[in-house]
Amino acid sequence: MSEHAPDSPQTFDYKHVGGRFLGLVATAIVAFIAIFAGAASNPTQFAFSYLFAFTFFLTICMGGLFWVLVHHSTDAEWSVVVRRQLENMACLLPVMGVLFIPLIFVAPLLWQWMQPENAQDPLLQEKWPYLTPWFFWGRAAFYFVFFTVAAVWLRANSVLQDTDGAPRYTVFNRRLTFASLPLFAVCLTFAAIDWLMGLDYHWFSTMWGVYIFAGSVLSALCVLVLLITALRGLGYFQNVVTPEHFHIIGKLMLAFTIFWAYIGFGQYMLIWYANIPEETIYFLRRNTESWQILSTALVVGHFFVPFLLLLPNPGKRRPAFLCAVAVWILVMHVLDVYVIVLPALHKAGVVVHWMDFACLAAVGCTVAAVFLKRLGDAPLWPLRDPRLPESIALKN
Amino acid sequence: MNSIGDKSAPVFGVAAEFSCARDLYHAAEKIRDAGFRRWDVFSPFPIHGMDEAMGMRRSLLGKIVFIGGLSGFLMAVVLQFGPSSVLYPLVVAGKPTNLFTVPAFFPIMFEMTILFSAFTAVFGMLIMNGLPRLNHALFNWDRFKKVTEDKFFVAIESGDPKFSERAVRDLLESLGGTNITTIHGD
Repeated sequence: MSEHAPDSPQTFDYKHVGGRFLGLVATAIVAFIAIFAGAASNPTQFAFSYLFAFTFFLTICMGGLFWVLVHHSTDAEWSVVVRRQLENMACLLPVMGVLFIPLIFVAPLLWQWMQPENAQDPLLQEKWPYLTPWFFWGRAAFYFVFFTVAAVWLRANSVLQDTDGAPRYTVFNRRLTFASLPLFAVCLTFAAIDWLMGLDYHWFSTMWGVYIFAGSVLSALCVLVLLITALRGLGYFQNVVTPEHFHIIGKLMLAFTIFWAYIGFGQYMLIWYANIPEETIYFLRRNTESWQILSTALVVGHFFVPFLLLLPNPGKRRPAFLCAVAVWILVMHVLDVYVIVLPALHKAGVVVHWMDFACLAAVGCTVAAVFLKRLGDAPLWPLRDPRLPESIALKN
Repeated sequence: MNSIGDKSAPVFGVAAEFSCARDLYHAAEKIRDAGFRRWDVFSPFPIHGMDEAMGMRRSLLGKIVFIGGLSGFLMAVVLQFGPSSVLYPLVVAGKPTNLFTVPAFFPIMFEMTILFSAFTAVFGMLIMNGLPRLNHALFNWDRFKKVTEDKFFVAIESGDPKFSERAVRDLLESLGGTNITTIHGD
């Protein structure tokens, strides 16, 4: 692509990161030491705080993989220029697999069905074929193996195409995607059931997987907006990513804001209206005491605010505005995951613990450091994708 | 001077034929720049970028649909809160009418908003396009039937403030239009 080659470098230059990379690594190490020290004195709080932080970043990475899969399965044009960054996000899933390891050691504190004293619970005995340790850990391993294979393989083909531009990589990735999409749905749904719904093994909701999915794909879009804007600010993506691309991402953010609200309300409405005790316990806990404040804030902040901000057209074309909305939605996603995980521990009301923040910093800095470390390994967008010119010339 | 239709009827406008989408596109740009307002182009398929080439502004329809949706929402609010909270309050399934039982009303509010928006969009579009109608003056012209096959047309209507038959004919001819014809009819 000669028309944008001179004024826009195609690979990331580490001079933009410099010493901040070391700062990131140092923060991650310090945060990990702090939370492991905290775990020695309060393992239960550590378990829940860590699951909260882990889930937040896992959902973003799964959302990144979802958008790569959607790109290939629909043969999309617009997303070619941003696909490499989505692939980079998805390729953090193996890292999330490594970051899952601390949870193995505190599993019985998180997932009460593992406690021996609950073994005689008739409800648990009904569910034993599913809630059995070897099957539980086997499933977890399967999720991460699948996520890793799908994300790494799709990205590897995409990078190979940068050298010779052969269309067969596109065709192969499409085939890979059709095999991956159903498995992705299964893995995301059951990961959500195992690790989040499993926090109260009495409780169940058939919409749980879709609810987690809605938050995942929305927050992945928000991270994508921030990434692209940051890289554009450093001088990359000139004449490649245009306001038209931001417009499309903004429209998708609006769509998935509505989708999240629709699924979240659908789940709440059915449980609330049917009023069956073993189902209502989830919302009873989150809509009483001080949790009520956070749940209400979620309704307003995760739906009404971004909905009204994203509804008019002009804002979606302005990267600065879209970034502000993206940051807001990501903060709301933190709150969403917090209200999912922590009430299972602090049943009487909100108790903010320093480990909540330390875990976010530990997992977040690790993931960000790995992302930055790998960012320069390949061009920032698929240089020789057959659809690249159409993607650059995008019109809404 | 070609002219078609009942000569005693008023002039609908002047139309010209083009043989390809590119010619039509460039003609549209010139007509836009000449300052015409009541005119249209016709083609067998949608042409990308034609909206800008014709200088069309954003349709008013979106704003009308917003008002339609809002009235549907308000109607749902009134129809539900009126009887259930004000006129004849009842405790159903252990749920009195207060702020925390509003979710029971949400599906109706949502559906009414969507229903009214959809109706406003469809019927608003039809009214703004002057549809449905039984006939159109352009159908008096036999060549115009080719618009569903392989020909492209421009028609400048006599309702345009800048319309004068001679000037429009000269303009269309200078743009490369062929078979320039004055269309009579209602």
